Amino acid sequence: MTNAPTDHGSRWLDAQLHLLDRQVLDAAGVPVAVVDDLELSDVLTGEDLPVGTPPPVITALLSGPVLGTRIFGGRPPQSRLHRTPWALVSEVGVVISLAIRGETTDLTWTERWVRDHIIGRLPGGRHDPERKKRGDSATSKRGDS
Amino acid sequence: MKKVFGLALGILTAIGGFLDIGDLVTNAVVGSRFGLSLGWAVVVGVIGICIFAQMSGRVAAVSGRATFELIRERLGPRVAILNLGASFLINLMTLTAEVGGVALAVQLITSVSYLLWVPLAAVAVWLVIWRVKFTIMENVAGLVGLCLIGFLVAFFLLNPDWGELGRQAVQRVSTGTEKVSTYWFYAVALFGAAMTPYEVFFFSSGAVEEGWTVKDLAQSRANVIVGFPLGGVLSLAIAGCAAVVLLPQLIAVTALSQVMLPVAQAGGKILLGLIILGVVAATFGAALETTLSAGYTIAQFFGWSWGKFRPPARAARFHLLMIICLIVAIATLLTGVDPITVTEISVVFSAVALPLTYLPILIVANDPEYLGEHVNGRLLNGVALFYMVIILVASIAAIPLLIITGAGQ
Repeated sequence: MTNAPTDHGSRWLDAQLHLLDRQVLDAAGVPVAVVDDLELSDVLTGEDLPVGTPPPVITALLSGPVLGTRIFGGRPPQSRLHRTPWALVSEVGVVISLAIRGETTDLTWTERWVRDHIIGRLPGGRHDPERKKRGDSATSKRGDS
Repeated sequence: MKKVFGLALGILTAIGGFLDIGDLVTNAVVGSRFGLSLGWAVVVGVIGICIFAQMSGRVAAVSGRATFELIRERLGPRVAILNLGASFLINLMTLTAEVGGVALAVQLITSVSYLLWVPLAAVAVWLVIWRVKFTIMENVAGLVGLCLIGFLVAFFLLNPDWGELGRQAVQRVSTGTEKVSTYWFYAVALFGAAMTPYEVFFFSSGAVEEGWTVKDLAQSRANVIVGFPLGGVLSLAIAGCAAVVLLPQLIAVTALSQVMLPVAQAGGKILLGLIILGVVAATFGAALETTLSAGYTIAQFFGWSWGKFRPPARAARFHLLMIICLIVAIATLLTGVDPITVTEISVVFSAVALPLTYLPILIVANDPEYLGEHVNGRLLNGVALFYMVIILVASIAAIPLLIITGAGQ
């Protein structure tokens, strides 16, 4: 985690202000997670950096149990990290958009589990309350297709 | 024509949806003990909720971001999780009170114990959330809630002594046997009843549910600025009815049936029936709003998929969470705890938690990154900052007053 601005195209982004705790939407505009932490490329610590060392870059967005470490401190084990590679980020605005569907990532496994085992099994659980009047265009505008 | 209709519908819904079990009970209790001498607290609370709802509605309409996403973004995870814990628990308490309110109102009609109606009311709330379209849900509850205008009718039918009510309204301090600390305790309670945090979670998330854009800003502003004050007038009418009928007879309101006594005396069975229908609609509507708010706050904090505009299977954790909250509410009420007591405590804690949600919204409402040209104007900011002070004072004073007065006993 760093406070140093990151060069993203032609814009300066402050990791703390523009990335951390931002809502992440998938390619269809469906919320998938919040940026709970960031993963940076290795930084050598404890020794003087030679002049000309490239600055660390953000390699992934992290979410899930890692949030606990930002609240209580400590370090999470590598195996508990839900990583979303930075390459999948398509846009950074008031929300962060991904270029993939949330369904395909590990991020949403709890959502899928609850859907497949509980909510989807209740009668009417897959009924679309807005379908009749709103039509497909309005629904897809806000993120579901 | 369609526009005029939409505007009228919005305003009527705001009036009918303004009152909930907290307003009904607190206003009647205060009216029966202090007359109209605390009317100013209702006015202060109503202006406050207008400012707050207007800001959060504008933030949601322009940026498409609901309140709790912004709370976490602006305050960071540590403060936000404390905020989430407090807001969620208070909201759960309010939800419990509203479900209890529905059950008590149905008990008045049927004479069958409210305990039997509690699970049925909660299941009905769930079915509406599960199945019914958002706008239909909101409009029906709001419009039927308009039956509460019966309180205003009853107030005039009671032919009140205006001079006496006027004297009460301008009195600064309590009279008779009531202590000064109790007076201020109820001032905070009335403030909390008018400015309940769930109203803002619901209002801002509802704007996202209905897909508001900048074009809807004028309409939303009119709904708030006309609808909420008219709802506040109904609050005052409830206090007025209690002040005219119950105060002289030294009957302090401790049950929902006593809230209705002045109405029965003034308007007989028909008006009473209308009011009870209004109470059922208002508490049921608020139960829907608090249940959804429980889902909104947690889903927005963790970035889950949320919203009634999605099929439940596409917002699965959101729906599961609401089911769990309703089960907790049923279990709490079935212990036999008095729903009126739950209500009175919940409005006080609403006042305690208010700064936690008000401040982030005030900050974001001034952030051009989210709002562009629609940031707060200078006048609104002045008033909003002044309210920040009032909200802080009420929040800090609430718990000491609760302890000193033994919850207003």
